[in-house]
Amino acid sequence: MRTNYRVNSGVRFRMLSDDQLEELFAGVLHVLEATGLDVHHEEAREILKKAGAWVDGLRVRLPSYLVKRSLEMAPRSFTLYARDGNPKHNIYIGPGRAHFGPGPTCPNFIDIESLERRPYVKSDVPLVARVVDALTNIDFCESLGTVNDVHHDLGALYEFAGMFPNTSKPIVAWSYDWDDSSGIHAIAVAEAGGQQAFERRPNYVHYCEPLSPLVSTSEAISKLIFAARHGVPLVFTPCPIAGGTAPVTAAGIITQAAAESWMGLVLAQAIRPGLPFIMGGVLSIMDMNAMILSYGAPELSLMMAGLTELAHCAGLPLWQTGGCTDSKTLDEQAAIEGSLSCFFSALSGGDLCHDVGYTESAMTGSVFQLAMMDEAIGYARRITRGIEVNEDTLAVNVIHNVGPNGHYLREPHTRRHYKTEFWYPTLLDRRNYEEWEMMGQQRLSDRVVGKVQDILATHQPSPIKPETEKVIQEVLEAAEDRVK
Amino acid sequence: MSEILEKISTAIIEGDADSAPGLVQKALDQGLAPKTVLDDGMVVGMNEVGARFKRGDMFVPEVLMSADTMQAGLVVLRPLLAAAGVKMLGTVVLGTVKGDLHDIGKNLVGMMCEGAGFEVVDLGFNVPPEKFISAIKEHQPDVVGMSALLTTTMRSMGHTIKAIEEAGLRDQLKIMVGGAPVDRDFAERIGADGYGSNAVAGVEQAKRFVGTA
Repeated sequence: MRTNYRVNSGVRFRMLSDDQLEELFAGVLHVLEATGLDVHHEEAREILKKAGAWVDGLRVRLPSYLVKRSLEMAPRSFTLYARDGNPKHNIYIGPGRAHFGPGPTCPNFIDIESLERRPYVKSDVPLVARVVDALTNIDFCESLGTVNDVHHDLGALYEFAGMFPNTSKPIVAWSYDWDDSSGIHAIAVAEAGGQQAFERRPNYVHYCEPLSPLVSTSEAISKLIFAARHGVPLVFTPCPIAGGTAPVTAAGIITQAAAESWMGLVLAQAIRPGLPFIMGGVLSIMDMNAMILSYGAPELSLMMAGLTELAHCAGLPLWQTGGCTDSKTLDEQAAIEGSLSCFFSALSGGDLCHDVGYTESAMTGSVFQLAMMDEAIGYARRITRGIEVNEDTLAVNVIHNVGPNGHYLREPHTRRHYKTEFWYPTLLDRRNYEEWEMMGQQRLSDRVVGKVQDILATHQPSPIKPETEKVIQEVLEAAEDRVK
Repeated sequence: MSEILEKISTAIIEGDADSAPGLVQKALDQGLAPKTVLDDGMVVGMNEVGARFKRGDMFVPEVLMSADTMQAGLVVLRPLLAAAGVKMLGTVVLGTVKGDLHDIGKNLVGMMCEGAGFEVVDLGFNVPPEKFISAIKEHQPDVVGMSALLTTTMRSMGHTIKAIEEAGLRDQLKIMVGGAPVDRDFAERIGADGYGSNAVAGVEQAKRFVGTA
């Protein structure tokens, strides 16, 4: 028997030391206690005050004991459920597990047929959801766009109504306001079989985005309150820009983003202790020449890794970012930026990594980038899975039996392991030159387009219940009446 | 296809070597001719294996299990085929050429050729031209396959072909070459009849030579 034997069961990396993490943690508490945030929501300020916050006008400051208590209340591990009960589509959030999915709200979209950039429309939503449903390494769904061709107040609702029937993977839903949130929730609850059933097996996450620096906007807070009152797991994620709306330094932006997210944490836990809370922050730089928020910068991966470590140290799961690019098209830049950020995100073990499929600095959603990254994530996951070392995998006996000049192709040991030890690409080409030539000398981008079109021609997600379809109709009709 | 032939074909696809002899015997007991069992059962299965491998639905270790299953069935069938005067697909003499000790690719071709129904004579590795020549004289093969992994040893294939010509044996057989650095151009330059870019392509080439593909 082995004794005192340590096992690394996966490849991980850690950037910050314990001392550095402690310093960051103390920095966040200090910002919340000494500076605080402006909270543009009267009811929220009252709830926070009752919980022990110091309120002065709009400004809310949080004593550190209150923040620590709220961190204690929020779970580190929980499950997001597939709406159809398919366990393969469940997401088990917990230490050492990295999950991936697209992002929301890009104004433009790469057309599936023409491959041209154009405004995102309602009919794109089901396509994105079906592709998400089919891709093995994509775990949750967002729509990659803001619907442009419906009433300007109803984009989020149409988006959810389009995604929900077309994938059984958990959805991360954003909304404009309380009405949207109610409509979205009604659909999800109908499928789950009632509010109680939903609370036991939540099938979507609510996404709220406060403003940097240090503002809890009325919309974000209103949505947070909705989620907390209805038991919907919550992502509360600011999007500070280093050098613009946050300090230029990585440690500074991490500290500010954590403070912004934790204001939401404290409010959510005050309303519903134990509500699953996914700490957020999309952290990147303002390119001081191009004047954009860069989605392909190495600093994004670095800052996100730091934020992930801080979240885990504080006992929270993190809303990671990766698989995105500043490139305008499906090219080498898109592959480099997307793949490296996916790999880095997987290494850091950030819990839900979103924005996979963002191009042009989040201006254009691309299901092709998403499909290409599905392959990169598979690649990354093979590496982070690491290697197993035991008597069987060590194969000393097999080596002995085969001996010099033999071969391993017929060994039962080979047959037992070759499918799990090796990762098999679906898009990366490993054929010899002649076969590649025969297959039309396709580039990776050609194969990506082919795969997406193939999925859309063949993949059918599991259907929703007929009663849910009725609820979707009712919700949309009521919403149209509201904006008349 | 009758039920039993279907079962034989399925056993080959699934690599179920244990059940193959029994199934072949059962087919014979039902009165099917040995050649029918071979062509309409076993070869059908093996062709499907090749198709699946090409599509990426089957992998080398599985193909080898199918080849082993084919062999297990042939143990029962071979004497009957011989007695009935039915020729096997053909005979293939294989070897890694002189100076080269790399033979995993050549082994694969051998195993897969056996699976396809060829008689295979494997000369091993570091095989000098003289050894190829004496094997040709002894076994009268339809196909000679040679391989090399190294750019330094691939020239040996040219030397071997020349030696076969000089021995007056070139016209009675087809020569195919393979190995990582080998391509169609090189194969033509050294006077080979064919080339396989991988093991499965090699088997297909051999089958084309004997007129069954």
